[in-house]
Amino acid sequence: MITTDSINNWFVQNFGTVTLEQAKSWFIYNPEEKLLFNTGLFLGLFLVFYFVYAFLRKTFYLRLTYVILFSLFFYYKSSGIYFLLLLLSSVVDYGLSQIIYREAKVSRKKIYLVISVILNLGLLGYFKYMNFMIVTYNDMFQGNFQLHDIFLPVGISFYTFQSMSYIIEIYREEIKPTKNYIEYLFFVSFFPQLVAGPIVRAKDFLPQIYQKLNLTKQDVNNALFLIIGGLIKKTVISNYISINFVDRVFDTPMNYTAFENLMASYGYAIQIYCDFSGYSDMAIGIALLLGFKLPANFRTPYKSTSITDFWRRWHISLSTWLKDFLYISIGGNREGTFAGFLFPSLFFFGLLLWGISNVNESFIPLAIAIGSIALFCLTFLLSKKKNQTLVTNFNLFTTMLLGGLWHGAGAQFIVWGALHGLALAVHKMFMEFFPSKKEGKSSNFLWTFFSIVITFHFVVFCWIFFRARDFETALQVINNIGQLTFEPEQWKVIVLGYKNVFLLMLFGYVWHFLPEIFTSKMKFVFDKTPLIGKAIILGFVYWIVYATAVAGSQPFIYFQF
Amino acid sequence: MNTKSYFFQSFAIVALAFIAFIGFKQILPDKIFPDSKVDSKNVLIDSLLLESVANDSLSLKGDSIAESEKKEAGEKINFDAAEGIEFPSETFDNYKGYQYLISFYEKLYQLEKNPQAKVRIAYYGDSMTDGDLIVQDVRSNYQERFGGNGVGFVSITSESAASRASVKSTYSKNWKMQSYLNVKKPISPFGVNGHVFFANDKANTTWVQYEAGTNKYATTLDNPTLFYGKSSKKGNVNFIIGKDTLRKSLVPNNLINTLKVTSGSIKAFKANFVHADSIPIYGFNFDNGSGVHVDNFSQRGNSGLPISMFNANVMQGFNNVLKYDLVILHYGTNVLNYGTKNYSWYQRGMTKTVNKIKESFPGVSILIISTADKSTKYDLEMKTDSAVVPLMKSQKRYALETESGFVNLYTLMGGDGSMVKWVDESPAKANKDYTHFNQRGAKAIGKLLYDQLNKGYEQYKGLRENRKTVDKRKTVRKTNTDSVSVIKDSVNE
Repeated sequence: MITTDSINNWFVQNFGTVTLEQAKSWFIYNPEEKLLFNTGLFLGLFLVFYFVYAFLRKTFYLRLTYVILFSLFFYYKSSGIYFLLLLLSSVVDYGLSQIIYREAKVSRKKIYLVISVILNLGLLGYFKYMNFMIVTYNDMFQGNFQLHDIFLPVGISFYTFQSMSYIIEIYREEIKPTKNYIEYLFFVSFFPQLVAGPIVRAKDFLPQIYQKLNLTKQDVNNALFLIIGGLIKKTVISNYISINFVDRVFDTPMNYTAFENLMASYGYAIQIYCDFSGYSDMAIGIALLLGFKLPANFRTPYKSTSITDFWRRWHISLSTWLKDFLYISIGGNREGTFAGFLFPSLFFFGLLLWGISNVNESFIPLAIAIGSIALFCLTFLLSKKKNQTLVTNFNLFTTMLLGGLWHGAGAQFIVWGALHGLALAVHKMFMEFFPSKKEGKSSNFLWTFFSIVITFHFVVFCWIFFRARDFETALQVINNIGQLTFEPEQWKVIVLGYKNVFLLMLFGYVWHFLPEIFTSKMKFVFDKTPLIGKAIILGFVYWIVYATAVAGSQPFIYFQF
Repeated sequence: MNTKSYFFQSFAIVALAFIAFIGFKQILPDKIFPDSKVDSKNVLIDSLLLESVANDSLSLKGDSIAESEKKEAGEKINFDAAEGIEFPSETFDNYKGYQYLISFYEKLYQLEKNPQAKVRIAYYGDSMTDGDLIVQDVRSNYQERFGGNGVGFVSITSESAASRASVKSTYSKNWKMQSYLNVKKPISPFGVNGHVFFANDKANTTWVQYEAGTNKYATTLDNPTLFYGKSSKKGNVNFIIGKDTLRKSLVPNNLINTLKVTSGSIKAFKANFVHADSIPIYGFNFDNGSGVHVDNFSQRGNSGLPISMFNANVMQGFNNVLKYDLVILHYGTNVLNYGTKNYSWYQRGMTKTVNKIKESFPGVSILIISTADKSTKYDLEMKTDSAVVPLMKSQKRYALETESGFVNLYTLMGGDGSMVKWVDESPAKANKDYTHFNQRGAKAIGKLLYDQLNKGYEQYKGLRENRKTVDKRKTVRKTNTDSVSVIKDSVNE
């Protein structure tokens, strides 16, 4: 007999008693507990939301409004009162886009576009870069400006770029504006990609709003497969290795051995991939469950055979955004513009200053500065089409510098962008000299292997700058790895000491480098699994996520050698 | 292909998965990763600690301490006047024990009157003070106010040498080192830093090189002096300063011998040891001869128990040259991870350690610094480890029993849940292991420690001013005479 009491007891046993206080906390913003896709709270809320959504599938405005309300709530749970900022900026952007669309005169259109770009970047600039600029200014000119107490609203970098794409595409007459504000707000605030991408382009997304909402069995299979993969990547691999190993080494690299530093660098490479692509996959999967197809954001990037290839596989929605709206806007491979020359020149000038100011201590910084300037110049001086390559490379370098800065306000992100920009330019030159090695042709296995290893290691090297809290720490990690000697006994001890971490890292890399045929086989089997089987698989993944989340962190250990 | 709307099936999968999850949660274990025990022979942890923990698990654990603890918390602690000075009484809860630091405070007072005087502090610690973290901040706070230049005594090799910025040291890989961490019967007795080094590679030179760092009051190496021990054979050492080489011989006649590299301040030097194979080498001291000097004797994995193995005669030899006024014992991090909340074994062991210190450095003041806050994951949340408070209390008990001063680092940094705050703060002040402080946090801790010590000093000056005519007969420090009897004290039962 099932009585209310027994149900109640079962509930209490499994979930504990739910107090009013707790229930309230589910709906109130808490800066310490963000509403991420991999939390139990999100699952619970989504279940309720999704149930109602399924009933609304045949409506239009009711459904849009319903999703908007949930999206705004979702954003409120992540950023509190700043959901108003999202609303405000969407109102302004919508207004400006309407004006641009209706304005017939090109020159006026341009003025409104500039206003909107300035507004958007200004907002992003204030929230994300204000303090960075103040610190830089204070450091350079011994200034004494107070830092502002600024809260960085979650996902501002993403939705700003998304709104900008809408306006620029309207300006370029690639799309028509939405019929009204509700449709526009639905596009900007769509919660799956709201806080961490992928950056959805208006021209990909808007047409889907007007289509009849449909969800096929195949869509659901794809969605669940993405969500399962994303959950494992994000919550199991990435979270566990970062808290138990990578963070510690990058906190105080000098307290760890060369081997630990090297492994932490490899660890970070798989961590950031799993973190970022895992979250993207979940976003794409959740959007798909709602009947919306978002473009893929990562295509096993560490399999790239060149740095150019890498940027076609890593955070694709960002790199295409940057290509279409930044690179092309500043001239692309056609012409040089002031902006295209300004940032690289500033960067190299700064690099030279850094080299000169350190010359008393060591000649290495100056050598690095002069070396990288010379290398950059060579990439176009050696080219047959000098002028065009010069323009292209400057614009490319600008794109990478600013792209680096987009990831965070800090010098290390600029350095990271610069390294990638330089590598892209060098690779272009390389391609000009050895065109036979162009991708696509069936080159021999050894060469492909060699290219992948080189590209991967360059990317890992750049990640050190990306991860380290400052430039000095990055150099410590690199110096420390430089002291690596061959001591298999010591390595064994370390690997055994961090057994779980190293197993997960291995799992992550093996998964990443598996030939695609394996994934498609797995997908094939999953598709054929009956509904209940899929539910059990998904439930098991929930359990893995839960069990990893409650796993205590490994106590710190120092080895003796 | 099926193009029928699949919304409700889709919902069913997600919802059924949730039910499946509840089922899995009931039948599967709670944790996916077993708490793997690392083979302790590869981990830096002191062997005395492992022994004590093993012995402790054999004895019965009484958990009925709650009642007595409540009583203890409010207990009044009255001090006997020493040198006519009596600090106000305290409760166990807020115990600081300034009274037992009087001899140290008096030396500081004398230094304040006569800047040529000297005060020396030995700061023993674990990985919290690795790389001179915390200690360098305590040192610079003291040197800022009382004068003094130099980083104090520095070991030959150290696993944390690379992370130390206050003095840069590099060394050849062929040094033979024995540490009190895991060696019970060293070839020659351990030095004041708990280590002994031998340059017994006959084929290659064994060298160590020091270079001053950039910290304030430590930009030069002042009066670098080598400390070495007793041996039947003689040896040589070549000091290379810039382009000059000074060849000096080592005369290992006494328990502790010193050899000055050069007088005055230099930026860097290198010492090549030649035919010194059996001579115990301890390290170099850098100080300008006046003001406050603080020696950092940090050792990763140390619980503090190994100090009880010190050879008192050798330590007295060190003390004759270095003349310590305060010994700080900052331990605890390494005894938190053993699943025990009953720390009476640790209390007993550390009492022995403190008694050894008293025997080694007669008349010295002793300060115990408690464990800092440390977090562990309980369910899904990082919280203060349940062992922190019991450990802190036991540390307070042996501080009180051995008449030592006490710093409650746990409450000083904010008490319950403070480590989570220090880690999450932006910019962060502690590392993601929720145990160690970073540079920024260490600086804050150094300041907190100095401030508490200094508060006692200011109070001491006030009391000194107001004391009645000094009774000269009472100048013998009470703690000193006690040290012999405490060894047989009833705390051990």
